[in-house]
Amino acid sequence: MPVIFTVDPRSGIPIYLQIIEQVKRSVALGLLASGEQLPTVKQLALDLTVNPNTVARAYRDLEHDGVIETASGRGSFVRANGSADAASIAAGRDVARGEIDGAVRTAKSLGLARAAVTELFESSLDRWLPEAP
Amino acid sequence: MNALSITGLRKTYGSVAAVDGIDLEIPQGCVFGLLGPNGAGKSTTFKCVLGLIHASAGRVLFAGAPLEPGAFERIAYVPERSVLYDWMSVREHIEYMQTNFVGFDPKRARELLEQLGVGDERKKVRALSKGMRTATAVALAFARRIDLLLLDEPTSGLDPVNQRTVLNLMINEAAQGTTVVFSSHQIGQVERAAERIAVMQRGRLVLEGVVDDLKAGRKIVAGILPTDDFSINGFANDARIGRLERNGRILRAYVTEQPEDIAENMNALGAQGLRVVDLSLEDIFLDAVSPKVATASIVEGV
Repeated sequence: MPVIFTVDPRSGIPIYLQIIEQVKRSVALGLLASGEQLPTVKQLALDLTVNPNTVARAYRDLEHDGVIETASGRGSFVRANGSADAASIAAGRDVARGEIDGAVRTAKSLGLARAAVTELFESSLDRWLPEAP
Repeated sequence: MNALSITGLRKTYGSVAAVDGIDLEIPQGCVFGLLGPNGAGKSTTFKCVLGLIHASAGRVLFAGAPLEPGAFERIAYVPERSVLYDWMSVREHIEYMQTNFVGFDPKRARELLEQLGVGDERKKVRALSKGMRTATAVALAFARRIDLLLLDEPTSGLDPVNQRTVLNLMINEAAQGTTVVFSSHQIGQVERAAERIAVMQRGRLVLEGVVDDLKAGRKIVAGILPTDDFSINGFANDARIGRLERNGRILRAYVTEQPEDIAENMNALGAQGLRVVDLSLEDIFLDAVSPKVATASIVEGV
């Protein structure tokens, strides 16, 4: 198991959400490859010293979101549906959507108008995702 | 069926109610953390549940059935104060357990004692430190084949390494379907190991739920209103807001569920600088046991 997850139990963010986020990031970055096996619920619970039902809940949601699939008796695997990249693209989109949503909310609550937020987004896109010349 | 089902449990001493009407349902395979200030009634609850002290009222069911002597074969209890015999050695305790409990595994007990650093089993219990006594009691309990574990402060006096070991033993048991109920003052441990918690205060339950759900629902939503005398009528009566504090333009809502919705409502109200602040279990615990500020005085002038 090459990927080491870490959770901060003292955080106000539910532990199962922390696990979901990290699995999605790992899948998006290819740290967890398509078809790769995840640790069992019990193993991850012991590795992180968190409740097994909490880990099971994270796995259920990940399965629901189409990131992993569970074969009964064999364990959980990163989903390999058609294109090898499908799961990683979907997972990356989920993580990014959450962050972008938060950023827009912050901008709005600081009193920025839509036009100003759009402008910020465009400058951010130009910086990190410039269009090919 | 729930592993443990408690209804209307009461224990009174004269006019004082140590346990004052407790209802709890604990599902099988759950790790359940019981929190509360000193004297809240946690230990008395454990003892009443096991019939070690006679409850004044209430009903306790183990997997649907009332407690009968045979049930103790499948239940382990580690009380707050060690019940080991001072004059007996650790080895004699192992032998004693082996004689008295069918499902006791002496090999497993020795492994656990080794793991927890209780090396020499020839030692008399009186020669062990407080932490080592706790470790011995815990090791003996975990070496049994059981359905239900009741642990009253199982990590008190243990060093951080052994505390972690005991938490992992609990997690390991739960992963195999054993139900674990434990009390602790160390909220960080409860936050890790417990799926569900209950907070007791003065013999009553003041909060109960799944730790992750409590964290997801309980947030502070803070915002800045357009003016000092801005009306927030209607907003103040939202049942999802446990407490509302207002100081001039600054509005803070202690939300108990759906914080995102409350944030949206506050946004629709015209509030700026909106923040949704996460609360740790410690924050949630302290909020549950601290005297509530009268809501009326805060909302005054709304």
